[in-house]
Amino acid sequence: MSFKMNSMVVMTLLASSVQAGILPADQASNAWFVDAQEAIATKQTQATSEKAKNVILFVGDGMGISTLTAARILDGQNNGMDGEENALSFEAFPFSALVKTYNVDAQTPDSAGTMTAMMSGLKTDVGVIGVDEDIERGDCTTVSGNEVVTALELAEVKGLSTGVISTARITHATPAATYAHAADRNWEDDGDMSTTAKDAGCKDIADQLVNFESYLEARYNVDVDGIEVVMGGGRRSFLPKDAAFNSADAVSAVEGDRTDGRNLTAEWQAKYTNGTYVIDQAGFDAIDADNTNKLFGLFNESHMQYEADRDNDVAGEPSLSEMTETAINILDNNEKGFFLMVESGRIDHAHHAGNAYNALNDAIELSKAVQAAVDSTNPEETLILVTADHGHVFTIAGYPKRGNPILGKVVSVGATEPATASDGMPYTTLGYTNGLGFRDLGDETDADASYSAAADNGRYDLTAIDTTSPGYHQEAVIPLGSETHSGEDIALHAKGPSAQMAQGVVEQNMIFHIINNALALVKE
Amino acid sequence: MNTLNKLTLAMLVASLTACGGDNKKNNTTDPVVDNNETPIVDKPSIDQQAPIEEAGLTKSDIAVSTENDWYKAGESGITAAQANVDAIIKEAGAAKNVILFVGDGMGISTITAARILDGQNKSMAGEENSLSFEAFPFSGLAKTYNVDAQTPDSAGTMTAMMSGIKTDVGVIGVDEDIVRGDCSTVAGNEVITALELAEIAGKSTGVISTARITHATPAATYSHAADRNWEDDGDMSTEAKDAGCKDIAAQLVNFESELQNRYGVSVDGIEVVMGGGRRSFLPKDASFNSTDAVSAVEGDRTDGRNLVEEWKTRYSTGVYVMDQAGFDAVDTENTPRLFGLFNESHMQYEADRGNDVAGEPSIAEMTEKAIGVLDNNNKGFFLMVESGRIDHAHHAGNAYNALNDTIALSEAIQAAVDNTNPEETLIIVMADHGHVFTIAGYPKRGNPILGKVVSVGATEPATASDGMPYTTLGYTNGLGFRDLGAETDADASYSAAADAGRKDLTSVDTTTPGYHQEAMIPLSSETHSGEDVGIFAMGPGSHLVTGTNEQSVIFHVMNHAADLVNKAEATAN
Repeated sequence: MSFKMNSMVVMTLLASSVQAGILPADQASNAWFVDAQEAIATKQTQATSEKAKNVILFVGDGMGISTLTAARILDGQNNGMDGEENALSFEAFPFSALVKTYNVDAQTPDSAGTMTAMMSGLKTDVGVIGVDEDIERGDCTTVSGNEVVTALELAEVKGLSTGVISTARITHATPAATYAHAADRNWEDDGDMSTTAKDAGCKDIADQLVNFESYLEARYNVDVDGIEVVMGGGRRSFLPKDAAFNSADAVSAVEGDRTDGRNLTAEWQAKYTNGTYVIDQAGFDAIDADNTNKLFGLFNESHMQYEADRDNDVAGEPSLSEMTETAINILDNNEKGFFLMVESGRIDHAHHAGNAYNALNDAIELSKAVQAAVDSTNPEETLILVTADHGHVFTIAGYPKRGNPILGKVVSVGATEPATASDGMPYTTLGYTNGLGFRDLGDETDADASYSAAADNGRYDLTAIDTTSPGYHQEAVIPLGSETHSGEDIALHAKGPSAQMAQGVVEQNMIFHIINNALALVKE
Repeated sequence: MNTLNKLTLAMLVASLTACGGDNKKNNTTDPVVDNNETPIVDKPSIDQQAPIEEAGLTKSDIAVSTENDWYKAGESGITAAQANVDAIIKEAGAAKNVILFVGDGMGISTITAARILDGQNKSMAGEENSLSFEAFPFSGLAKTYNVDAQTPDSAGTMTAMMSGIKTDVGVIGVDEDIVRGDCSTVAGNEVITALELAEIAGKSTGVISTARITHATPAATYSHAADRNWEDDGDMSTEAKDAGCKDIAAQLVNFESELQNRYGVSVDGIEVVMGGGRRSFLPKDASFNSTDAVSAVEGDRTDGRNLVEEWKTRYSTGVYVMDQAGFDAVDTENTPRLFGLFNESHMQYEADRGNDVAGEPSIAEMTEKAIGVLDNNNKGFFLMVESGRIDHAHHAGNAYNALNDTIALSEAIQAAVDNTNPEETLIIVMADHGHVFTIAGYPKRGNPILGKVVSVGATEPATASDGMPYTTLGYTNGLGFRDLGAETDADASYSAAADAGRKDLTSVDTTTPGYHQEAMIPLSSETHSGEDVGIFAMGPGSHLVTGTNEQSVIFHVMNHAADLVNKAEATAN
């Protein structure tokens, strides 16, 4: 287990040290050769243990393999490197697996079904939250008896501190699957539900978040203290549809969406009088983590801003890495440990909008958040998992030379001008198979600006266009109102106790079982 | 594990029941103050000090979950994962045999789509299926870029895998100090390969490919060239030949003597070579045509040499075969050496194999036969098997053949698993690079992977904004749409110019062998892609593939597992 012992083990186990003779000296001293040898030595001595005190699950929504590679290259190029040789923070983690993402009823999945698999240990249908495959999507009467427990709920019952962070609405599918149970992911507030569903007793997702403590206690006849840290966007689902309740950060004329007149932020504050509710950067910065026992941050009416667009937020909002660090500082006040889920929700949104710039920038910000978690926790007692829920139809094409700007046009090895396709026009390295297609929006840092016009598929003459600008949207062949998810496997990167359970090719619901193995959440 | 835990729990409960009273007394009256004083009761164990009822839910509390089949499979997965960890063989040299399978162009999306097609061919929904190597215990990701290329080619990537260093695009078995195409820069920049090290170490060696055996991937196991295109002397400039560089086919046939000269060692040459590419071994003269010839003049060599005859002369006990009948007649136990050249150029796509002139074996048949020959050596063997035409089908924009050849590779890997001892055989499966090949839309579970997207709950294809249906599989660039019906040769698409953009697929059967998917950017050949590829491994040293790796790490995994460098040194000295 100790590093000293490991260095002794490496001497005996790693016999393939450089020797004179057969192996050409230039090869033995080649930097690629030496680096790879060292990588093997590190792997040989990788210590493993089973039980963790803390688990942090990072989900890059829509962060497929091609997104990881492209983000790695952009991050490297932003730091003056060629880029390809760079590694995102979690790409240095020792263990990994490939993950099969399909839902029970869908070849290519959505975030609701996939996050339910990760959080509850079983696959279910597309579009549903925290319920098994016996559910009928949208039918409230089928919820009862099909609710499954989540890793966050189990941690809560076990006495661990718990936290949920997302750059999307905190009621959106991925964060919702940590704390809620719903026959439809769209039930974010009561205004999204049919009268039938409400009359049948189903609760909206925002309500389930604010009343998490009492609902969990009632369901399992236990005593819990509620989620300690909740941060994200989505304030609209917590406020009445009445301009009188608008916050200083409101974007719409009427910020709230609730039709039942309830102000859930006020309910939360009444319930947790020692808790802190914040809505902007100033409120966030004022938090004293060591003296805060509960934190509720709703930084945007809908989703939080793309990282590149964050300065345009009305009242200011923290970055994903800032939220992660603050959350850990609150959660680690509990000596029993904690469970934290952090979602970078807008990698997915940028891809849906056909805008690689924001997808990659948000993936880089997730990498920073993961690094913040690594820096703020004890590696011997903290399992950190980084994964995606699904990929996107996003490709890295052509034969660009080493170090070619990843957002640029393909320039071949040995060339200085862009290569041209059979139509005589240059083409970008990055592209999408489908979606809204080409846009040249220049300095626009909000990827969603592309939705203001119809899909525009096919080829454009990019000769005079700067494809590296924030507002450039890549070409697509199949015109759709929104670029789609993809069905290929995604990656799981892991470090810490039980990280060695991330192996081979796994069904996505294995992630829950790795967390359970690390924290012994389910009592034998 | 379950049994053990239940036992521990039972002991805990028993001890608490037996000592409950004393324990309480001890806690209330006698806080731990004096370590020297012998306690009145037995010293409290850790168990006794623990809370009697630890908070948490039991399996029965969450029966909706724990009685669910997915949940149970996940629990079993943890048990299996623990067993995999316990079974890791770390020691250097523990692998007697190493088999490296390369799916050329077999990116992550290709593996997922092939898994689904294979499952659907077996009447499953498909998504839940696993290709043979997906059941291997360990996987990793590999960064594929070449030293000078963001998106790589097979020459640079296979040199990385076989020699442990990254190098430039387009070059074979040489380091990045090479100038591509310049013969004068080869000398001094040649790197040794895992196959060469295994050969020097006295192991048997083999190379199999469904592409030309002189193509980049197989070539990087045995040759050293400033340009991957130097497959025969007719492909080389006079300048390069005059400067002393040898073509790749010549390097294969003269492998034994060239390796001996380079390192001053004694070796016995490659035992098994099978693939396509006969043209680079025969003179450009119709009189040398084989009965399997496709072209009017089969051979490409301009130096008049017949390398097939040279090989037969050198290895008089060896067996040369060129068709299915010859292959079937090979008795592995009594064949010291096998040279099979089954096609003038590349071997057929698996789906097109029935159309070969004189018949040719499948990749699974070749793999099994090769192992049958190679495992006659008690020092072990090194074997590289390439499925070379996954890449070619993708370049032609034809998912059908790319996926079928991937399935054939999966069967070859299963044949290797079935014919080797897992405790002494490292098997690695990976790709050299991916392709711009995507699995799109929101098809329902079990929707035909080669079909049009049909949404969850629907029975008719979904339509795009242009009102037309679209396929699940697609390419970002390439030749684009073709509707060639029953045509099983993907390369038939090259007979017409690129046809990018959308077509009305309403009445087109997109599941036929001859359907070629739509593409956006018109190119004469669909391109490689730059994202990471998967690595799958079993056997001694297989735990070393985890995480995100530079592709050059693969050599070092094999070198560690079989201790190739040290064994080669020891044998040579």
